[in-house]
Amino acid sequence: MRIQVRARNRAYDFEAPEGEKLLFAGLREGVDLPYECATGTCGTCKARLVEGELKDLWPEAPGKKHLKAGEGEFLMCQCAAAGNVTAEVSKYVYAMDPGVCMPQAVGGKIAAVRHLPGDVAAVDVDLDSPIDFDAGQYMALETPGVAGMRGYSMVNFARGTKRLEFVIKKKPGGGFSEWLFAGERAGSALALFGPLGKATFYPNLAKNLLCIAGGSGIAGMMAIVDRACQESYFNQYKGHVFFGVRTAKDAFYLDELAGFQARFAQNLAVTIALSDEDVPASLASRYPGLRFDRGFVHEVAKKTMAGIYGNIRAYLAGPPPAVDASIRFLLLEAKLSAENIRYDKFS
Amino acid sequence: MTVKRICLASDVPTNEMREFTTDGGDKLLVANSGGEYFAVQAICPHQDVPLCDGFYDGCVLTCHQHLWQWDIKTGEPVGGIAEAPLERFAVFVEGGEVFVGTRGALNVGELFSGLSESTLSKLQGLAKAEEHPAGGALYQAGDPADDFFVLDSGRIEFQIGRDERTSPAGFMLRKGEVFGWAALLDAHPTRIASARVLEPSRVLRINGKQALAVLEADPASGYLAMRRLAGLIARFLAAPGAR
Repeated sequence: MRIQVRARNRAYDFEAPEGEKLLFAGLREGVDLPYECATGTCGTCKARLVEGELKDLWPEAPGKKHLKAGEGEFLMCQCAAAGNVTAEVSKYVYAMDPGVCMPQAVGGKIAAVRHLPGDVAAVDVDLDSPIDFDAGQYMALETPGVAGMRGYSMVNFARGTKRLEFVIKKKPGGGFSEWLFAGERAGSALALFGPLGKATFYPNLAKNLLCIAGGSGIAGMMAIVDRACQESYFNQYKGHVFFGVRTAKDAFYLDELAGFQARFAQNLAVTIALSDEDVPASLASRYPGLRFDRGFVHEVAKKTMAGIYGNIRAYLAGPPPAVDASIRFLLLEAKLSAENIRYDKFS
Repeated sequence: MTVKRICLASDVPTNEMREFTTDGGDKLLVANSGGEYFAVQAICPHQDVPLCDGFYDGCVLTCHQHLWQWDIKTGEPVGGIAEAPLERFAVFVEGGEVFVGTRGALNVGELFSGLSESTLSKLQGLAKAEEHPAGGALYQAGDPADDFFVLDSGRIEFQIGRDERTSPAGFMLRKGEVFGWAALLDAHPTRIASARVLEPSRVLRINGKQALAVLEADPASGYLAMRRLAGLIARFLAAPGAR
């Protein structure tokens, strides 16, 4: 099917096979169409149908609340072409930069599910073919029989890899996570699309890193810190990682974080923030390399970082209230410029 | 310029901002910057997000959704992410009340906002306001490029190529957007695209040579306008791989 997307600055033509979402078809062709969640929630990928017919693959997608009824608006991440389609996107759209990791559709299966504290599971996925991705990116995941895709950030960082690691939190009403937690899922087939997301870290950044993550938002931060450690980035630059959970029982990845910290003890500081309880002495003594504090993760980060915001790039992930509160203090009090505050908005 | 009373000065405390709706139903944002008042469009030019939900520190306004940022005094983007300026309104404070006047398309525009008052009024003098019904064409590819245009309202679409072999090359829909800027370049005698009117549109038509003469007489303003023109052209160049 021939697709034409008319953007504010120019038009793009590309082919889309039957059943493929228009957003994915365009991204695969190197057209940097607007999106954020890519999974039917945020509404960023909305377009207007000029000509042709669409097939809505998920009519109940929550992101449809962002569409103007009766004006032909649709979500590119949920609609496929049923014939040639011309659509309009009221934004400037550019070709992707050369050298970025090109998004693609890839099949895979769940290799292992390891249950972590706090209704969280570490999920390893083996892909049918290797992909490249950047630290901080995510994949859209889907399993047959569950409507809609879900975005999860990669925990590991590797080039040309067939193994992806994810952290998935059980969310009531979250189709994919409820399916995952409802039974034995090792060996189950998945459809994936990616890599996606722009909250990426490259070692040529040459800035000190500040990572603020709540709950399963730690996933992308693990990849960023992993890549930075692989490149010995913390020999030259400082890293400040803040990981917020409710109680000591909900914490995970502490061994991995302590391992990163021990390799670059001079420059990498990792703080675990507990929002709902005082820090148990046993926890602090078990992880002498990690710091522990009581409070919401953005509050602990704000208190700890006061006065040391020189040359900082911040990465944020987690529950929207924690991300929004972090943005607020980083802009208004830390006076970071907007381009040094990176996050992907999923809602 | 039409002037409307918006609020009491005390409604907007120092270094805070409030959204107001005029009696004509238009929304705008009034910001207090250290005791000085500024008024800008209420909705982010990126997506339909109310700017009053954003962050404001008394100088820089940030949309909370994607962190587009502007200098509240000039409406110009800062911080490296915002891709469009904010529409600004003239503000008068009298007797403890804030009045706001709407600005013409020229003052809003991406080329000329912030130029000296005298240069702006000379350009305004060159501008001919035109109304075009939907379906017409402002110019065709190959036409001489004598005039450039500033959009006031409506929607203009561009096509490159000729006869059977044309393809869409973008569209304009924001007040103050400038097109047909080949008229401001030396040795660029003909249009490279055609401009069609998609919805009933109001435009300002300005002769390129006369505008350049006005800008040359005021080098500070002229430099600012040319720098913006270079940025505007780069925005279209930054879309490689046309097929």
